[in-house]
Amino acid sequence: MLIEVRNLTKSFQKGDETITPLRDVSLDIDEREFVSLMGPSGTGKSTLLNLIAGIDKPTSGTITVNGTEITTISRSRLAKWRAVNVGYIFQTHNLIPVLTAYENVELPLLLLPFNRAERRRRVQIALEAVELLDRASHYPRQLSGGQEQRVGIARAIVTDPRVVVADEPTGDLDSATSSHILELLQRLNSDLGTTLLMVTHDADAAAVAGRQLRLDDGRLISDERNGSGHVVDAPQPKPGKGIHV
Amino acid sequence: MFKFMPYLLKTLWRHRARTMLTVSGSAVALFVFCFVGSVQEGLDRLTSQKDSTLIVFQANKFCPATSHLPQDYDQIIRKMPGVREVVPIQVFTNNCRASLDVVVFYGVPAEKVQKIRDFELIEGSWDEFKSNQDAGIVGEAVARRRGLKLGTKFSVGEVKVTVAGIFNSSNKSEEDYVYTHLDFLQRTPGMNLVGTVTQHEVVLNNADDSVRMARAIDDKFRGGPVETDTRTKGVFQASSLSDLIDLIELSHYLGYACVGLMTMLISTTTFMAVQDRIKEHSILQTLGFSGSIVFLLVLAESVLISIGGGVVGTGAAMLTLASSGLSVGAEAVTIAFSPSIKLATAGLTGSLIVGFVAGVLPAMAAARADIVTGLRQA
Repeated sequence: MLIEVRNLTKSFQKGDETITPLRDVSLDIDEREFVSLMGPSGTGKSTLLNLIAGIDKPTSGTITVNGTEITTISRSRLAKWRAVNVGYIFQTHNLIPVLTAYENVELPLLLLPFNRAERRRRVQIALEAVELLDRASHYPRQLSGGQEQRVGIARAIVTDPRVVVADEPTGDLDSATSSHILELLQRLNSDLGTTLLMVTHDADAAAVAGRQLRLDDGRLISDERNGSGHVVDAPQPKPGKGIHV
Repeated sequence: MFKFMPYLLKTLWRHRARTMLTVSGSAVALFVFCFVGSVQEGLDRLTSQKDSTLIVFQANKFCPATSHLPQDYDQIIRKMPGVREVVPIQVFTNNCRASLDVVVFYGVPAEKVQKIRDFELIEGSWDEFKSNQDAGIVGEAVARRRGLKLGTKFSVGEVKVTVAGIFNSSNKSEEDYVYTHLDFLQRTPGMNLVGTVTQHEVVLNNADDSVRMARAIDDKFRGGPVETDTRTKGVFQASSLSDLIDLIELSHYLGYACVGLMTMLISTTTFMAVQDRIKEHSILQTLGFSGSIVFLLVLAESVLISIGGGVVGTGAAMLTLASSGLSVGAEAVTIAFSPSIKLATAGLTGSLIVGFVAGVLPAMAAARADIVTGLRQA
């Protein structure tokens, strides 16, 4: 098991009100899986994604990724862990505007012990994987929306992380470009064996993934694999037993 | 950190107007700091030197124009034990009060100038000076300030001198003086000073004897035709500049205020840069940059801006000080504004420290910002 989520709850204060975007969620994700996370706005999809990516801390519950329980480690160790284990694809690509496509993709590698030659080799492979090697010296403003998103994907995979998370990666793109990006993600999963967790609103986009999780009101309500549905009954599995279908 | 240099430099270039304005502001602050520092250094050079030279002046007189000592006092002083050399000097200045353009003539027996000063002629010749009564050798600072060249005839009041040489000296204040023949200055029309001098410069064998010797010289002439007031050269110069010393001390605080202002300016700019890039820093942290790396990146930006201002400001100040030959003087004693390695080092070190101090708070704010909140920013 690559990712084990147990009884995850996240709540925060907003004025006098306590908001709980995620309630007692448990799930398991295997290596090389492509999982989509669906649900209406405000149901906790991005919160769950951010918790698994290690950029947010839960109120309770645990997340174990590849044997490391990331909910208890310090902020600085978590940063190092992210650099090695997580690739993050943003909705709006979030490239650094002053850096070229090459430099943007190289950025996460600067944190790892690679020399310049190794970094160059890896960046070239990543840019080739997203078919943008010929745009390496272009700045984000010189790229189209789809190209920017592909650079964002190259940046997410360049360190060869254990898991790549994508927060609505097609949310800002037209349908043709979206299809291209989804195809690319699918290829990354099937050809390179990258474990992918993707948040999306779009049912068609979710269908590209081999497994679809659905959240509602902060709870996991269904877990389906292509061709075989499985509705998760409340209450969810007991601590220690994920819902790996 | 060198791996992140392209990112740092490009980030600063992205907001080049803001960066340039901050660098310019810092440069102005450092320029003033160095300028004020050079005045202070010049004053320190004049007043704190432990020297073996005494100045014998007429008692109860302050301006050189009013001090008239018999020239033959030099014979009496020379016979005193512990005295190595006595030089009678006639001083003429265009302005006894504090001024930024004081021209001071020192009339000295021509054969003694080389003996008591370490002057190096950068133009002209000693023979030319010694063989012409109206010849003068001019300090490099005066020559630069007044545009004097070899052979130029120039006059201040009734004193008309031909430039026979231009000298520099290890004592930068000396470069603000013009040395002429003693009897030439004494015979200047309208002065009728033959037989008298403004002061005697006494070189002792041992600097430790200076206080005792000063008292002995004054005792020797007490009750004589003209009483004397003898002090070491440093004390004499400090006394001549007493009106300026308080002002210079005050200006020192102005220098520190400029550094404080520079700290605030860079801190504000860095804070603004952090506020503008909350999302960018969150993206970096999402990619695996730790809070400490983000802290160092922001701190490095602040230090780069500050050092940029430091290099420009200190460099401009050094060039101005070296090329302008500026000085301030009173009662025929001048403080040279001159560049020095010490001053340049102080300017650059100061800018480095300012960069660190100014960057700490913005860097902490960037490093501690919540990643998820930052990512939500537009």
